Amino acid sequence: MPPVINKEKCIHCGQCVDICPMDVFYGSKKGEFPIVRYPEECWHAEACALQCPVDAIDFRIPLTLIVPVKKLPHDAMS
Amino acid sequence: MIPLNQQHEADVAVIGGGIAGLMAAIAAADKGASVVLLDKANTKRSGAGATGNDHFLCWIPEKHGDISVVYNEFMDSQNATSNDTPLVMRFLETSPKIVNMWNDWGINMKPTGDYHFEGHAYPGRPRIFLKYDGHNQKAVLTEQAKKRGVKILNHAPVLEMFRDAEGVTGVLALDASGDEPSFITVKAKAVVAATGYVSRLFTTDPTPSQMFNTNMCPSGTGDSIAQAWRIGTYLVNMEKTYRHAGPRFLARCGKATWIGVYRYPDGRPVGPFITKPNVETGDMTSDVWSSAFTDLKLSGRGPAYMDCSGASKEDLEHMRWAMKCEGLTALLDYMDKEGIDPGKHAVEFGQYEANLVTNGIEIDINGESNVRGLFAAGDMMGNISGDIGAAAVYGWIAGHHAADYRTRALGDISQESAEERMAFYSSIYERKVGASWQEANFALQQIMTEYADCGPHRVRSDTMLTAGIKYLGDLRKKIETQLYATDAHELMRAAEVVNLLDLGEALMISARERKESRGRHIRSDYTFTNPLLRDKFLRVWKEGDEVKTAWRDRLI
Repeated sequence: MPPVINKEKCIHCGQCVDICPMDVFYGSKKGEFPIVRYPEECWHAEACALQCPVDAIDFRIPLTLIVPVKKLPHDAMS
Repeated sequence: MIPLNQQHEADVAVIGGGIAGLMAAIAAADKGASVVLLDKANTKRSGAGATGNDHFLCWIPEKHGDISVVYNEFMDSQNATSNDTPLVMRFLETSPKIVNMWNDWGINMKPTGDYHFEGHAYPGRPRIFLKYDGHNQKAVLTEQAKKRGVKILNHAPVLEMFRDAEGVTGVLALDASGDEPSFITVKAKAVVAATGYVSRLFTTDPTPSQMFNTNMCPSGTGDSIAQAWRIGTYLVNMEKTYRHAGPRFLARCGKATWIGVYRYPDGRPVGPFITKPNVETGDMTSDVWSSAFTDLKLSGRGPAYMDCSGASKEDLEHMRWAMKCEGLTALLDYMDKEGIDPGKHAVEFGQYEANLVTNGIEIDINGESNVRGLFAAGDMMGNISGDIGAAAVYGWIAGHHAADYRTRALGDISQESAEERMAFYSSIYERKVGASWQEANFALQQIMTEYADCGPHRVRSDTMLTAGIKYLGDLRKKIETQLYATDAHELMRAAEVVNLLDLGEALMISARERKESRGRHIRSDYTFTNPLLRDKFLRVWKEGDEVKTAWRDRLI
């Protein structure tokens, strides 16, 4: 579940922990690798990724949140 | 007992650091008031405007001419049925000043070099939504507030408001920044309530398993509407629940940012407004006929698609840029990863669950409620809509007038009330076994969705609402004695559920009282729209434990 943090890149600055509007990293400390304690509360605002100074955060959108699309043109228009 | 570790005093306390709260804090500080602002997250990225916005409703005299041009369009837009005209006029008259202020501070209100209005518009009619780049708006407003000496307490959700016979006296908050929760009190001469849009009251549609997949920020739970309700503040238009529309399954606002046409599966346009993408207007169908998405689904004629394929390459690039301004980062990332190209793929759209926006605290022309010194601003104002524009402008107006209380003496927070509420929240934290906040929130959503949902295709009635009110009362007893939290974060969420429960009750009582069908409020026992109630607003409030309702005329 989102967000997914790259252990190699993360510098343990704690900025993602402080900025998350949903507080999903609650309990994580500056100086330590952040833990996504409450993943089901992620809103995918991506505030943490926007804040991350070393681009260490990626997202995995759950299967329940897929955006259904269809290839164009519509049948009657083709 | 959770300890009380911080006691602050201020001329003005602001609850919520969204657009409205930050603007209120800025205006109050500009007038010389000392200000403490409390936010449940971090003001740089909290609330409905967390990562950006791209439409700001306003009047720019050199573009529109007379103010009536904007007023008339506004009153034909979504959610305008809850507007008191004098407040709309005050908002519009003040808006040019606020827009210029934002532009001076570094929020780009002229991304094309000049003020330009596009989207949320009917073809051939004036446009009233300024296209702007709000991706940095929260950081800019936070910096402006700090520059003026506003004391910002992040990770400090407010739990209660207090009052005496004279008016509001302060707030109780939770310090949720550390491992152990503690309490904070702020004694204040005036309070500005600005906790925004209310999500999580109804079962999440389309993803019941994902409570936080909401079109607006799911931490927005109407906390200060409920807190104001508990101290006898008038709420208004609570029965007029709203349903937003947007991409299916990944719930997001920002429908007007899409440059395309809503179409049936065979390619016919759904709405009457446009037949090919129009960058200047967008497709107004989703604004004023958002039930179309549900109609199509339930009739089997759907699904409805947003089709951008007729847009030019430049328009598609413009749309992508605007989505970044609007803060739709997750949606853009998702589409990129999945190879979804809006020029080649039609995206299914749908309606989301009912929410509260422009259902809340009744304010006067200065943003003040019936409780002296208690102001409200933003999406939780009950009698004026207007999204980001109204939040910014009325936030500023409310803060400006709240600062006038700075010459009054500071009142006292009643020790008895404060201790009673601290004991209540401590009991949730001290309980070892019971109902988690999620369990309680889902239980509340079940009752709201079953007995008080709004249209299309859902009805309310006296018997259903009466049953729902009874069940809410039963749930309340259980929540008060069983709710438990293992840390400060969960305690914050538990308090949100307590607040949502109050809003659910106020909503159901109001819905029972409006004995007609109007818009999304569909009554199976009063299926007609009563002309006598067209310009009537329903007020609801608490006197002790008793709930009262009264009708009043819409101000024209």
